[in-house]
Amino acid sequence: MALGLLWGVKIIYGFSDYLIPQPLEVLQVADQNGLLYVKAVLNTLAVAIAGHMVAIVLATVVGLVGRLNTWPGNFTRTAAYNLQAYPIVAVAPIIFLFLGDGLASRLLIAAMICYFPLLLNFIGIFAKPVEEVEHFFRITGRINWRLELSIRTFENLDKITTVIVGSGTMALVGTIIAEFLAATDGIGYIIRKALYQSNLAKILVALFLIGLCSSLYLSFIETIGGWIKMRLYGTRSSPYDQV
Amino acid sequence: MYIACRNLHYTYPGANSPVFSNLDWSIEGPGFFALFGLSGTGKSTLARLISGELSPMQGDIDCPNARRVLYTHNAERIPGWNTVGAHLRSVTPASKASLLTTILKDYGMEAHLENRFSGLSMGQKNRINLARYLVQEFDLLIADEVLANVDEPTRNHILERLKTLFPQKTFIYISHNALEVARFSQTIHVLPHGSTVGTNRIHRITGLDQQEGMETPEELVQERVYAILKSAASTSESRP
Repeated sequence: MALGLLWGVKIIYGFSDYLIPQPLEVLQVADQNGLLYVKAVLNTLAVAIAGHMVAIVLATVVGLVGRLNTWPGNFTRTAAYNLQAYPIVAVAPIIFLFLGDGLASRLLIAAMICYFPLLLNFIGIFAKPVEEVEHFFRITGRINWRLELSIRTFENLDKITTVIVGSGTMALVGTIIAEFLAATDGIGYIIRKALYQSNLAKILVALFLIGLCSSLYLSFIETIGGWIKMRLYGTRSSPYDQV
Repeated sequence: MYIACRNLHYTYPGANSPVFSNLDWSIEGPGFFALFGLSGTGKSTLARLISGELSPMQGDIDCPNARRVLYTHNAERIPGWNTVGAHLRSVTPASKASLLTTILKDYGMEAHLENRFSGLSMGQKNRINLARYLVQEFDLLIADEVLANVDEPTRNHILERLKTLFPQKTFIYISHNALEVARFSQTIHVLPHGSTVGTNRIHRITGLDQQEGMETPEELVQERVYAILKSAASTSESRP
């Protein structure tokens, strides 16, 4: 649809082929470079998924500390609120300077991009009591930190799924931007080369593949989330949201 | 079992006026007692102070024989990952298993043990929540509107059975239903409205303490209801 809109604009305003390539040219690029671009986008996706997983694990661990009302917890929360305001992408060139333009830099940037939204949500979920459920266990002396976390995680499963899906998009975007800035691999690097060549056909093919992969990955995460909710709730959405 | 509150004072954070000021109150169990009052008079606050969930800003609460005070309210839920039966089995001590069976049979909940809590009606949820508290060890159970969503015949049956099954325990039953508290309570403790600066006094009205298998004349019930409502509508400085 987007491509159709682009070509519609081309026809209406009479833009040259240099600015917006013909559909045939785009198809030719796809035919010639399709396999290379698919490998590149899968490479990017793999890095983004790895970075996303690292961010989820790290955010969970740090979130467990951040929920506490002790000095480590207070320090963690304050640090998280302040650090998340800083644009991570602006730090990307420094990361490439220190770690080079290989996998480590891309992985770190992918993880950092989606880490803070995950962390802030997890701290919020782990720290906020679900009084209607926890009250019985507290007053009968049965409450412990594992039960608290289980209750809070279960009660906020919808929110957790939503933030994980959203941060998945951020991980992919962050990886592509990092590759665009300074990496030597991945679809972002392909787009950077195409930009230097002023070859919009290549850029359009790359963007199409990015959109496809992104949709598949997000659908996959949502499916996993739906399966988990089905196992735990017995339905795909929280029973407490149903009227 | 004896509880005494002396010179109790409590203000919620951010509130302009206290819920209580210089409140003195005592209750001596065992028995089934009611705490009655219009909305906002501080019934739930008093219950939470006695159970230890809140701490008074002034005054003290003395419960020398009450080692375990439990407080329950009707908004409680059980964890959603378990069925009702699995949760009840996990929180019921082995020595109370047969008591649980009796209670579930009395409350008509035996057929719903394989359901999840979210799949029950409001009245069923109230009953399950009360059942799990009744099988715990307690000296005093404060039940705050715990049967609010249960139909009247079932509620009456539950209250009668409560008194039969637990004759040596103390209950404080918080309810807006004057008819119910008049009929089943030993004493109704009425919190008057208006918690201005000054002394709050809780009014005591003798209840009809209906037991299982007994019938209470309706005229007596109506008479008590009138006394309760009149007391509840009075200010803190006047007495009925």
